Amino acid sequence: MNMSKVVFGFFVLLALTLNFGFFLGEIDNPDHHNVYELFAALVVGLIATVMKLGERSQMSAMLLASSLVVDLHLIAAALVWAIAVHVTDIGLTPAVMATIVSLSGGALLANLLSVVLLTMDTAGFSR
Amino acid sequence: MNDSFAFLFFRRMRMPLIVLISAYAIATIGFTLMPGVDDQGNPWRMSIFQAFYVVSYTGTTIGFGEVPYDFSPAQRMWTMVSIYLTVIAWLFSIGTIISLLQDPSFRLHRQRARFRRGVAAINQPFYLVCGLGDTGRLLVRALSDRGHPVVVIDNDEDKIDALSVETHHSLVVATCTDARLPANLAEAGLRSRWCIGVLAVTGEDLTNLKIAVTAKLLNQRCQARARADEREVADNMRSFDTDQVVNPVEEYIQRVRLAFERPAAFRLYHWLQCGPDARLPDIRQPPRGHWILCGFGRLGRAAHALLIELGLQVTVIEEDPMLEGLPQGTVQGRGTQAETLTAAGVEGAVGILATTRDDVDNLSILITARALNPDLFVGVLENGLSSHALFRAAGPDFIGQPSSVTAGRMLASMSAALVEPFIAQIIKAEESTCSALIERLEQLNDGQPPEFLSFLVSERRAPAVARLLEQGSDITLGALINDPERGERRWPLEVLLLRRNNQDVLLPDAQTRLALGDRLLLAGQRGIGRRLASVLENEDTLVRALTGQDMHNGWLWTRLLRLASMGLHLRMFR
Repeated sequence: MNMSKVVFGFFVLLALTLNFGFFLGEIDNPDHHNVYELFAALVVGLIATVMKLGERSQMSAMLLASSLVVDLHLIAAALVWAIAVHVTDIGLTPAVMATIVSLSGGALLANLLSVVLLTMDTAGFSR
Repeated sequence: MNDSFAFLFFRRMRMPLIVLISAYAIATIGFTLMPGVDDQGNPWRMSIFQAFYVVSYTGTTIGFGEVPYDFSPAQRMWTMVSIYLTVIAWLFSIGTIISLLQDPSFRLHRQRARFRRGVAAINQPFYLVCGLGDTGRLLVRALSDRGHPVVVIDNDEDKIDALSVETHHSLVVATCTDARLPANLAEAGLRSRWCIGVLAVTGEDLTNLKIAVTAKLLNQRCQARARADEREVADNMRSFDTDQVVNPVEEYIQRVRLAFERPAAFRLYHWLQCGPDARLPDIRQPPRGHWILCGFGRLGRAAHALLIELGLQVTVIEEDPMLEGLPQGTVQGRGTQAETLTAAGVEGAVGILATTRDDVDNLSILITARALNPDLFVGVLENGLSSHALFRAAGPDFIGQPSSVTAGRMLASMSAALVEPFIAQIIKAEESTCSALIERLEQLNDGQPPEFLSFLVSERRAPAVARLLEQGSDITLGALINDPERGERRWPLEVLLLRRNNQDVLLPDAQTRLALGDRLLLAGQRGIGRRLASVLENEDTLVRALTGQDMHNGWLWTRLLRLASMGLHLRMFR
């Protein structure tokens, strides 16, 4: 067993699960979506991105690309949140919440792709 | 391959970046958890946005103070934690970046990336010089003076560093790499469409051979020129169509032979092929009689064969008695000692050739032999250019410099297309012709070798001339150069060679009429090429040059002339 592979898989998977946890719930209800979960998803996503940096295979290029997409989506979601609450005083209206959650939904897709790619890579490797 | 150094950077930066992200995340979360009090005295906790704001300015040591409200003791405690956390994370990252920048392998990657960019940015014909010895340096200097970008590779870092602090007239890109590997040559732009010549002038024959092979195989359009000290290697190079192979030994022998047999031809030959700063050699003709040859190495052997062939009596002085092929009567010892020289009969000798591999020995032979016999004709071999000042001060009758001879020969042949046939003609020409040529060429450039230029009389290369010829005009060679009105020379220019139907004519007559398909070799003052080009390409200038009158061929002017000659006629509105 390779410890670095465990850590790598852990972060990629954790990014997906946190993202899914945040995404789950009514799309426009702020009570169903915890800001800490979004923060955690973003941080884990960033760490996963950094871990994928500096790899050269075709698979890792795809992994890195999907990770960058995740970061982009989650940063956008966090920005929407910060602007709505702190910059403009609109507050967490259902419309704002729906935007944030749908952005995280996009990130969820990319995270899912990351995990699928990683699984394929691992399966191919063991054969 | 191209962005490998970016990959290396990210791979090394992985850990510091993860530490940095984690530190920021922990500090941010911590701030949102610490209980605080707002300005009304109500309990208050930071949102993630506010916490990230505080961490951002604390972590970068900017420190705006406690915003939006004064911190509670718990928040201050966490501020301390986050300061140490983030500062340490930053120090770790920056330390890694700095150590990475100083890492030799990373620096190498960066240098190579810069070199590749430098080569890729060249967008005009350039030369690739392999090897930066004396020859390489002369070539780089001369080629950049001619305005060509030069790419240089050598495996000695110090030489590359020394080159990078010199100033050149055009772009010189250099890197330290092994020229024997084809990949490195390709990286140096061998396959670029702008690469017009590869010059293999390293100190090793086999390296030069490999470079020449690689150049010929990877880029058929570029010319490969190589130096080869061994005759076998030279033959090998010629066997696969290397465009020019210079063997310094053969070249030296050729010049010594010319000096013996045809002094004027020697002066011309040597002068034109010794680099751009060469001076016309003032040499007395080597006398015939008893000669002493010091050193029986590669050059010594060839010189011995030549002297014997010229029918001279030769005594060889050689340190190593076990060398193969030493002639009878060889004096064993070093030519630097008076006894050895006396034993070889220096008092009765007419000349001495010092051809050992050691420059100091050669100088010493020169001085000792002169002391024993002041009338001696002394020829010395100067292996490296570093002690050139000593050689000049010692004042031998003839200096053989393998590096400047090699460079000079390559430069002459690169300067214009017809120089090689011209040199071949000189070797065959009469002595009087050579003397006359020297006299005419010497004035062109204040004693320095003239600039060569060659052109083809064709629609593309000399459109104005071609058009006039097609209209039936006669253009003589003399008319190109002389001013018909004043009957004097217009330009410091000489026509050296005319090639017509594969026949070379040395110094064609001024009355020769130009024809389409002629190739001409001219020599002139430096910078004459550009002025001549304007005449060859512009009909107006050419007609003015040939007749001294303006040719009014502007559209409006032609129309006005027509009007004037025909009176006011409605033809204008046709």
